[in-house]
Amino acid sequence: MNRLLSTRRLTDIASHAYIWLLLLLFVMPFAALVNYSLTGPRGEFALQNFAYVFGSFTENLGWSFRISLLTLLINLAISLPAAYGLVRYNYPGKHLLFAFLSLPLYVPAAVLGIALVLTFNFTYRLTTSEWGLVLAMVVGSFPLMLTPTVVALKDLPIVFEEAAQCLGASKWQTYWRVVFPLIGPGIGAGMLLCFIIVFNEYLVTLFVKPTFITTAPVRVFNLVRTAGLLPTTAALAVVMQVISFLAVLLFFRIYGTRYLKGTYLL
Amino acid sequence: MLLLVLPAIAIVVLFLYYPLLFIVQMSLTEGSSYLSPAGPIYTLQNYAEMVSRYLPNVLVTIELAALAAIVDLIFGFPFAYILVRKVRYRNLVRSFMVFPMFGALYIAFGMRFLLLPGGWVYNLLKSFGIQNPQLYGLPSVVFAMALFAFPFMVLNIGTALSNIDPTLEEAAACLGAHPLQTLQRVLLPLSRAGIVAGLMLVFGWSVGAFAEPLLLGSINEQRSLAWTLYQRGVVQTDYGLSTTMGIVLLILAFAVTYVALRQSKGVLGE
Amino acid sequence: MSSVRLDGITKRYGHTLAVEDISLNIAEREFVTLLGPSGCGKTTLLRIIAGLIEPTAGRIYFDQQDVTYLSPRARNIGFVFQQPALFPHLSVADNVGFGLSVKGVRKDVIAKRVEDMLALVGLSGYGKRMPAQLSGGQQQRVALARVLATDPRVLLFDEPLSALDRNLRETLKYSILDLQRKTGKTAIYVTHDQTEAFAISDRIVVMNAGRIEQIGTQMDIYLHPATPFVAEFIGANNSLSGVVTSVQEGEVTVDADGLRIHCRPHSAFREGDAVLGYIRPENIALLNDKDDHDVHHIGYINVFDGVLDRVIFEGATAQVRVNVNGRELRVDVSGAQRLTLSRRGGRVRIGFNDVTLIPKPA
Repeated sequence: MNRLLSTRRLTDIASHAYIWLLLLLFVMPFAALVNYSLTGPRGEFALQNFAYVFGSFTENLGWSFRISLLTLLINLAISLPAAYGLVRYNYPGKHLLFAFLSLPLYVPAAVLGIALVLTFNFTYRLTTSEWGLVLAMVVGSFPLMLTPTVVALKDLPIVFEEAAQCLGASKWQTYWRVVFPLIGPGIGAGMLLCFIIVFNEYLVTLFVKPTFITTAPVRVFNLVRTAGLLPTTAALAVVMQVISFLAVLLFFRIYGTRYLKGTYLL
Repeated sequence: MLLLVLPAIAIVVLFLYYPLLFIVQMSLTEGSSYLSPAGPIYTLQNYAEMVSRYLPNVLVTIELAALAAIVDLIFGFPFAYILVRKVRYRNLVRSFMVFPMFGALYIAFGMRFLLLPGGWVYNLLKSFGIQNPQLYGLPSVVFAMALFAFPFMVLNIGTALSNIDPTLEEAAACLGAHPLQTLQRVLLPLSRAGIVAGLMLVFGWSVGAFAEPLLLGSINEQRSLAWTLYQRGVVQTDYGLSTTMGIVLLILAFAVTYVALRQSKGVLGE
Repeated sequence: MSSVRLDGITKRYGHTLAVEDISLNIAEREFVTLLGPSGCGKTTLLRIIAGLIEPTAGRIYFDQQDVTYLSPRARNIGFVFQQPALFPHLSVADNVGFGLSVKGVRKDVIAKRVEDMLALVGLSGYGKRMPAQLSGGQQQRVALARVLATDPRVLLFDEPLSALDRNLRETLKYSILDLQRKTGKTAIYVTHDQTEAFAISDRIVVMNAGRIEQIGTQMDIYLHPATPFVAEFIGANNSLSGVVTSVQEGEVTVDADGLRIHCRPHSAFREGDAVLGYIRPENIALLNDKDDHDVHHIGYINVFDGVLDRVIFEGATAQVRVNVNGRELRVDVSGAQRLTLSRRGGRVRIGFNDVTLIPKPA
């Protein structure tokens, strides 16, 4: 048997080809959007669709950023103490409590949407407020922040905290000056995930958003539904994905990929 | 210490558990009678209707999600295996794999361009001599759903596979096992938990699919529950029926999620 | 039971050579050990013989059959790994029967064979247990039974004892040797532990940096190291570097760092040759001051006076450092003498005969 054609080599080549083929499939829908977004009215190459994005769609992008940012802040404020309380103390039912808090991840968005819009309507009177939308995003996404933070905290040996306390740091000083910086990557991972999910969320938003708010993904959805396949809509979708991808790359660049362990990104 | 977790608990109780209970109650009322001044009319009518009129909707939802899960398993197992055992450029692969995460909406939207007359897929099929292919329908919907959930499958199987010592495969090969025998007798049994968890998670995530059936499906796929629920609830304000669909959807998603979580080790560990 | 022939085996990873042009003949039923420090390429070579790695160049023959590009499963080998590598989801019996089962052998035949093999490794009655219920040593025995069950042509061992604790290593290495003798299999055994290699091998192949340094029996390697590496790797050694000053009737005199050393080397040297001289610490005697000065009377052709620098009592032996004209030599003392060693700083006399001379590499 010839060395160049040995089964082992063929298997290796086929393996890598398989990976690349599937990766190609992954970016195919995105590539199609890019291709179409760069097409002018007579099928020529054009950048004008993107000018439209930063003209007519600025408001939608603005809402998306605003909602994402507010959601991130609230997520941080509730997830950090919760993670600490879940990892550093022992009490019965801890695992159950964690499952109880993670459950929103497994509720289909349409169900969360209909349930929230009805309670906002009849119980909370939140339908006309931007806070209703933000809280809906919070409940759907904060477990994504909680999980990597819990993982990071669990991997952090308790000796650092004990050392800080023995050196005379108060509980709060320990928390702020030792624990926080050390679990930074975990928190970062959580923020990244939350940002990606909330920034691109359209379904729950579709149900609960007040009439005066249209986020970018909802705008994409509405335009696809009603106006058909416009290159300008494709351009907006491309911009959204590029922003999300840049966030991911930024994170990889700062922390590497290992902190996404235990989350929903590899 | 419970004080630290309290805000999180408050959020989920107020904005998840209470609303879910609320729609359970709502699903037991007739139409939009909850709004009427005479007070809600309690009835099991909605659930009866789910069986008599909307059973096909439930079935098509299950069918799509199950197919997506199976497609993901078939393509995801080899993918995860190669990724874990042979690939050094894993970070690059991870970067590519975040694209589906950005949302099913963009996938479905992008695929519409591919399937359009003149789109890449359309032209490809035409070059194979297939004229006027019916591209909107079940295969496209399942493909989009599978693409969206693929990373979850790979994650679950990959975790299971990376916990298997590669020496076991070498041992099997040295003992005379064909690669397929190694797969069947060593790899599959040892990664079973990951496979089951992956299947369940993909199914659980896919039952709620909204954009894919709507944008890529024929009338048949557009009957899936999430989209029907939206129309009945938001457009036609038939709260009773749409919340009932929500409950059914929830049960579908939770039943499998429960199995999945029991299979995979919790984040908090032992 | 096959002979194994390696012909110019080379393995290259990018620019680094893991194994370089290795040729080696191993006879049927022979027990050969590949010995060397970690990273010397011994495991790579073993995995190439098993078919787990493909060589960049060279050929492997089992008997007359060229197996270079055969997959491991087509070679019919028995590979024992560093870890037992038992299939955790299969019982002990299913593990042992695995090799036969994948070949489609009938169940009752397998059951009989499994029983025999378990008896052979002294684990009769353990068939129903799961691997996790066994100790490390028992697991490695099961791994042995598992490879023997398929009646392989060659047994390959990749440091099978290194994960076990010391007492277990002692007993299990003789079990391995017994099994090899009983079954008459050709065996190739990789280790970095020279006592292990010395205990079980017919021949030892000393490897370093991807190449073979020396092939020989224990005695060859211990008494006549062929290269500086072997001399320094096997056991402890005092090394001196010097120049041959005279050659007379097979006796060579070397001037090494101011010491005049007489030796009777294996190979021929000429005056003026630059050489490395090795003297094993256990071959140096610590002589009493009272002993006669006549060297021939005492029986040592080299006798030196020195100062006791340091005594390290190690139990069975004592390590003594003696300073001779500013050169420190290590002397290992055993027997009753080690218990009566004088304090440091005292004057001592040492004597030795065996000096290994190796031409100094350019």
